[in-house]
Parts: sequence; structure tokens; C-alpha cells
Amino acid sequence: MTAFTRKNADKPPMLIYDKVRKKYGNFTALDGVSLNVNAGEVVCLIGPSGSGKSTLLRCTNALETLDGGEISFESRPLPKTEPEMRKVRQRMGMVFQSFELFPHKTALENVAMGLTTVRKMGAEEAHKRATALLTKVGLADKTANYPANLSGGQQQRVAIARALAMEPHVMLFDEPTSALDPETVGEVLSVMRTLADEGMTMVVVTHEMSFARRVANWVVVFERGQLLEEGPPQQIFEAPTAERTREFLSHLGWNG
Amino acid sequence: MNLDWSIVWQSRWLLLEGAAVTILLTALTMLIAVPGGVVLALMRGSSFKPVALFATGFVELFRNVPLLLLVYWAFYVMPVLTGLGLSPFATGLVALCLNVSAYNSETFRSGINSIRIGQTEAGLALGMSKGEVFRQIVLPQAWRRVLPILASTWVSLFKDTSLVSVIAVGELAHTAMQIRSQSFRVLEMLTAMAAIYWLMGYPQAKIVDWIHRKYGVRE
Repeated sequence: MTAFTRKNADKPPMLIYDKVRKKYGNFTALDGVSLNVNAGEVVCLIGPSGSGKSTLLRCTNALETLDGGEISFESRPLPKTEPEMRKVRQRMGMVFQSFELFPHKTALENVAMGLTTVRKMGAEEAHKRATALLTKVGLADKTANYPANLSGGQQQRVAIARALAMEPHVMLFDEPTSALDPETVGEVLSVMRTLADEGMTMVVVTHEMSFARRVANWVVVFERGQLLEEGPPQQIFEAPTAERTREFLSHLGWNG
Repeated sequence: MNLDWSIVWQSRWLLLEGAAVTILLTALTMLIAVPGGVVLALMRGSSFKPVALFATGFVELFRNVPLLLLVYWAFYVMPVLTGLGLSPFATGLVALCLNVSAYNSETFRSGINSIRIGQTEAGLALGMSKGEVFRQIVLPQAWRRVLPILASTWVSLFKDTSLVSVIAVGELAHTAMQIRSQSFRVLEMLTAMAAIYWLMGYPQAKIVDWIHRKYGVRE
């Protein structure tokens, strides 16, 4: 196999996970995970349920606290205080499995919320920006809809627009298509693919192997809170080094 | 039996005044006890233990003491303890507020707890502070869910205000009882009182039903 060079490998990584540990009671969710994410990369985290992928993502923007190790973002360790962490979170967009749109706000208000509340932007400018973002995700005609009147795929696209509104440097996707009807998965993945093509740095926890295969620059396989193996998608999907990776992929019906 | 209903018509202005005091008492109590309930619910959820403990003690005390006893306590004991000489109206208001705040606190607590943690996380992930998340995301949603319960509390409170008649607050029940004892028209006045409470209470109950239909959580 030819040597593989990662994107922006000559620059400092955007995210560095250094021996990250996280426990829930007696359960060790993350057991010394070390990983780099470079600027402009799409890194997919795959592996069985409960293997720690989502926990790592949630530690990234401090929705979970670490029990050991360190995470650095743009060359600085994550701050320990709430006000400092709020500033860091503004540079990280997050998309949740269950969308978590605000049900009492329209699609437009959902997208504008971060701008008006956190950035203290005027309503008019925020709504203009929100409209542009909803247009970008293909929902220009749904700005006035409440989440309850949108399909799952549409809700998730609004959620992506909401995260993008803050102009994040990295987007964290936590199983963004797992709660969707099969027919709407494609529209969400296509928006994500467009983002990737534009050079957005993305960390994606996913069970969509074909997305990981086609869009990711780097694939990380988790098992039992540890990093089983990592590599470019060709390697992980065509010639995995770990036997457990092969088992996991064949279990999902992946055959190259 | 010799009934004379004219006493009701003759006392109409007094009764109307009493009814106005009843409504005023209900409205003022809710005006204080709704924010009071929110604050108590927040205090109970505080990570600072003494604050949480105080709020829990407050709620459990005033929720589990009969309201009538609370009214007497506020009238006889509170002035001794605090040195405050409040009017009967203000005293009654304090007793009602203590009781209803405690109830509202539990209502808000269950409403706030019913909002998925993911909603809070979505707000935090945008860079919002915990306070912003609470005010803009959690409370508006919780408010919709608790509105039907608050409306029911309002109707109960409207009737329970009659308990402050025992400390001579000039609301509807006290006024009617006064007229009764002066005119000896017991049956007429008690019937009139029941009719007035019903006429005012029934539309409120219907509005509550409507609020339940409009805002009630449907699974």
C-alpha cells in the first residue's frame, strides 16, 4: 500500500485527544483514547453501540467532563470554566441524533437563536443570515414552519443550519441519521457531503458505512472505549488490520 | 317556611364588593405565587445544598399544612414572630401565597423536569449560558406544559380564598356571612353565596377545560 498523507498534516491539528478517559460509575466509556483531527478533515468514528464514539464527541464540547487525559482545540486545552468554555463552544457546531430543535420556535428562529442570544446580533440581520442558511440546506420554503411540521430529514437539516449559523470551525455530528426514516437519510447526508466539499472540519459518529467510505478522510474504529484502529477509509474498509474491525464491518453487511 | 329573597337584592352592592375582593385576592395570590413557584423550583434544583434544602423545607411545610390552619397562623402567630402588623387582607394574602407558591413550585419542577436534557444540551452547544438556556428554551416549553395545571390551581384557589373569611377579610364569603348574621336570612344568604361562587367559578372551570384541550400534553 502506498503511504497515505493526511490532510493538512503539516499544520498543527485542530483537535488533539490525549489519553482521554471517561467513566460512568463503574463503566469505563473511554479508556485512554488518543486521536488527532486536522483542519479540513472529515473524521468518521465507527464501531459498535456503547463503544465510546458519542462520549468522545460529547467530551469535545464539554457536554461531558473528562476523568483523565486532555482535549486541545486549536492548540489550546479546553478551558475549565463555564464562561471560557462558552466561547469555545461557539466555534464548535453540534448536531444531535434526535435533532433537538426548539419546538416553540420556527425553523428560522431556531437558526437565528444563537446569533441573537449569544452573538447579540439584531433580529433583522440574524433572520437574513438564517434565511440564507436555510436556503443552503434546501429549506427556503420552510422558514416559518415549526419543527412539528417538518419531516425528520428536514428537522435535521434545520439543526445543521442552526449549528452553521455560529460559523463554527469544526462540526460535531452525533449519529445524525440514526433517528431518520430511510427515505430522508439521503437528504441529510447530501448536505453533510456539501459541507465536507467546502472544506469544513467534521467529526462524525455514524453507522452509515457508505458515507464513511466515500466522504471521510480518516476513519477511526472504536471498541469498548478504546481505539481499535484508525486509517484512511480504503484501508479500514478494504484491508482492516484488526480482526474485530472485519467482524464489525461484516456484521453490518459491509463487503467492500 | 317564610323566605324573603329581597335581602339578596338589597345587599347586591355589598356582595359585588365581596366578589371583587375575592377576585382581587385570587389574582394577587397568583401574581406572586407563580414567580414564587418558579424561584422555589429553581432553588430546589440548586447545586448549593443549603439553598436546595431551604426550598425543599419550605415546600414540604406549606404544602402539607391545612390552609385554614395557615390562615390562623398568619393572623395570630406571624405578627408575634415578625413584629409586623398587617391588615387582615395582607395577612390572608400572605397565607394564600405561602400555600400556593409551594404547590406551584411542585408544578413547575415537574414541568421543568419533563423537558428533555437534549434541549438544554442543544442550547449549551450553541454557546448559550445556563441562564439563557433556562429562560429561552426550558421555561417557555415547561410553561406550556404546566399552564393547564396552573389554571386548575387558579380555580381551586378562587374557592379557597373563602377560608380567609375566618380572619375577617371582606371577601365574598365573609360579606355574605356578615349579612346573614345581621339579617338572620340564613338560607337565602347561603344560597345566594353558593350561586354567586358557582356563577363565577363555572366559566373559569370551562376556560380551564379549554386550556387543557389546547395546551395539554398529548402522547
